[in-house]
Amino acid sequence: MDITFTEEQEMLRKSAGDFLTAECPKTKARELEEDEKGYSPELWQKMAGLGWMGLAIPEEYEGMGMTFQDLTVLLEAMGNNVLPGPFSCTVVGGAFAIIEAGTAEQKKDLLPRIANGEAILTTALLEPGSTCYDASGVNLKATAQGDNFVLSGTKVFVEMANVADYMICAARTKEGSSDEDGISLFIVDAKAPGISCEVIPTIAFDKLCEVRFENVAVPKKNMLGEMDKGWPIMQSIMQKGAIAKSAESVGGMQASVDMTVAYCKDRVQYDRPIGAFQALQHIMADMWIITQTSKYLVYQAAWMESEGLPCAMEVAMAKAYVNENYKWVTERAVSLHGGIGTSREHDTGLYYRRAKAADTAFGDTDFQRELVAKKIGLIS
Amino acid sequence: MDFKLTDEHVKLRKEFFNVCEELAKKRPEGFTGLEGCYDTDEGWAYHLDCAKVFAKRGWLTLGWPEEYGGQGTIMDKVFMSEATGYYDVPGVDIFGVDMLAPTLHATASQEIKREFLPSIASGERMWCELWSEPNAGSDLAALSTSAVRQGDEYVINGQKIWSTGAHRAHWAFALVRTDPNADRKQKGITFLLFDMKTPGVTVNPILYMDGGHLYNEVFLDDVRVPVKNVVGEENQGWGVTQTLAAFERSNLGAIMGMHRQIEELVNYCNETKVKGEPLAKNPLIRSRLAKAACDLWAAHALAYRIVDAQSRNEMAAFDASAVKVFSGELQARMAQLGTEILGPYGQVKHSRWALFEGFFEKWYQQSFILNVAMGTNEIQRNIISWYGLGLPRMK
Ligand SMILES: Cc1cc2nc3c(=O)[nH]c(=O)nc-3n(C[C@H](O)[C@H](O)[C@H](O)COP(=O)(O)OP(=O)(O)OC[C@H]3O[C@@H](n4cnc5c(N)ncnc54)[C@H](O)[C@@H]3O)c2cc1C
Repeated sequence: MDITFTEEQEMLRKSAGDFLTAECPKTKARELEEDEKGYSPELWQKMAGLGWMGLAIPEEYEGMGMTFQDLTVLLEAMGNNVLPGPFSCTVVGGAFAIIEAGTAEQKKDLLPRIANGEAILTTALLEPGSTCYDASGVNLKATAQGDNFVLSGTKVFVEMANVADYMICAARTKEGSSDEDGISLFIVDAKAPGISCEVIPTIAFDKLCEVRFENVAVPKKNMLGEMDKGWPIMQSIMQKGAIAKSAESVGGMQASVDMTVAYCKDRVQYDRPIGAFQALQHIMADMWIITQTSKYLVYQAAWMESEGLPCAMEVAMAKAYVNENYKWVTERAVSLHGGIGTSREHDTGLYYRRAKAADTAFGDTDFQRELVAKKIGLIS
Repeated sequence: MDFKLTDEHVKLRKEFFNVCEELAKKRPEGFTGLEGCYDTDEGWAYHLDCAKVFAKRGWLTLGWPEEYGGQGTIMDKVFMSEATGYYDVPGVDIFGVDMLAPTLHATASQEIKREFLPSIASGERMWCELWSEPNAGSDLAALSTSAVRQGDEYVINGQKIWSTGAHRAHWAFALVRTDPNADRKQKGITFLLFDMKTPGVTVNPILYMDGGHLYNEVFLDDVRVPVKNVVGEENQGWGVTQTLAAFERSNLGAIMGMHRQIEELVNYCNETKVKGEPLAKNPLIRSRLAKAACDLWAAHALAYRIVDAQSRNEMAAFDASAVKVFSGELQARMAQLGTEILGPYGQVKHSRWALFEGFFEKWYQQSFILNVAMGTNEIQRNIISWYGLGLPRMK
């Protein structure tokens, strides 16, 4: 056993932190909330220059060939700095799905472009009326017509669809024997005729979109994985997404703890730093404990995923645990800052809002706990 | 012991509810709470309109002495807050009606009362509270805005912060330092009133977490205020702020708001189907909504007990702290629960995709108003520990 980061990971963590602090200060993160695109193309190019998008893409596709766990180190640094933009949906949702399920041609076409920062990808799963990440919610229809499938229906909460080049879209190709059966995935050109996209205003301004498909023709060769058997691939995307989101979240938790401790050492009321009040010390001690437990739970799940071990339960546990605790830690961070913490210009609120957004992404707490309940042996 | 309301109270309470129900129909879309009043022109106009309706019925002077046009008792005031709280209807200026008026009744001279109470009663003049400063929040007595007497005026210089509604309010009640050499910082503070249009008053917005314009920073540069606008005595302002016993502090407004939130969530869960089953059948949701209801009924019972104590002049400050902490934190949990029940839609801001006009997304952020403003919950817990439980106070 060796529960430390490798030297390479430490370097990555440090250099990513330094880069993001310099290139994407929190003021910029907040500006990007009001930006139409929701990310900075310039910064995106710089990140591509550092090889980040290709970090975990095999070298034969112009990536760096590092592991999923290495990627989560980077994601934690991004969460620590609340970097907005399409990194996670492009790399975790997009690249990994293609690595896992893509044809040789799809890989050759897309992976180098992702690695070089030339293609933004996202995943389109949820639909109006479906409230959880469950196969039963997939009703968007794909019908075969000549060389194409024709897609019609609506997707919601599609991350960064406003700037995406491609969407991996879950569609129903037949009424199967179960909800899971009969779902196929398509790599859809996001600019194809018949697609329209609107940004849904959300608490974290994270550009979750409603995407309408009106008779959108998708070439048959753009199916990802096998016909009618797309759901396990989607589950794998969701599982990686859940770890990625949790890694970002623990980064945000650490930032919230650090910020609060620093503030309480500095802020004077009643002639002493407010950090001298035990009532606040104990809150901060709890914030730290919860951040520690969250981190190691996430690291463990990331390691298992990276090693290819079965880890559906561990991932669900990590996500459920982090969901609740990221919200709690950031709520405490705001409260301990008093008035200033409640203002737009202060960073604590930025994390607090992100924590709410992170909570529902890739399955909320109830959804994850249900997975855990099954895995620990509760009959249903 | 008897929890029963008199028939007369029941009737009056019903009347408050009926009027508020009507007013609620004119609510601008997405309007809620204090931010609703101050953020948009529409919300502000609605606030003023509701104030006029209440003023006409004499409902802004509930519990006031009759010579100032008062009617009813503190109990009536409580029923009124229940009604406005339940329907999320503004119109009762928390600063003018809820805070300043009782302070004036308790401490001010005849002249001040005659000059300032009528426009509060008529709902025409709205107030803001200029107390907090960048370095004087919880430790309010550390405030440093100075007021130097020149003839029959004070010349005021300093900065205030977190001033809710200062960009809309007509007048302010402020705390300023008139004696910088007093031996204790609580001494040498003066409570005074001035027009927000006085030269030298500059109001700059600070946006709230959710982007709304709720509070401000206020700069005071050589602001001249007549000495006759002092409430109480010069240098005795701290004492003026401590007349809380006269305030209605049951938090029943917030509590009734939560009753409505539960009702709405219950309706939503009964009507919304997931995989063919109403959400209401989900045992997780049942249990959590039921828990919220238990907490809420507990808060309600405590609030009534505080009103009752107050109407007998037996309420202690720590009683009010208890209900403030409990109901404020309950509202935070309720907003959480609301966003959770709505799933991914819980994060959606007021828009065509939002449920309940984005109410729970908003309160997920606005609940800090209840838990930080007017004395943080940590400070309330100190008050309970020191004055309620008699625990030793660390120096
Ligand atoms: C939404 C909102 C509206 C407001 N409106 C107004 C207004 O209209 N007018 C006005 O004058 N002010 C207003 N305020 C200011 C409010 O009264 C102060 O924010 C509050 O008193 C806390 O002061 P502070 O912000 O300086 O925080 P601080 O006093 O610096 O507190 C920071 C943290 O330290 C804790 N702390 C401080 N002292 C102790 C202690 N002794 N023991 C334990 N913990 C302690 C606090 O609880 C808090 O968690 C408003 C604030 C908010 C958030």
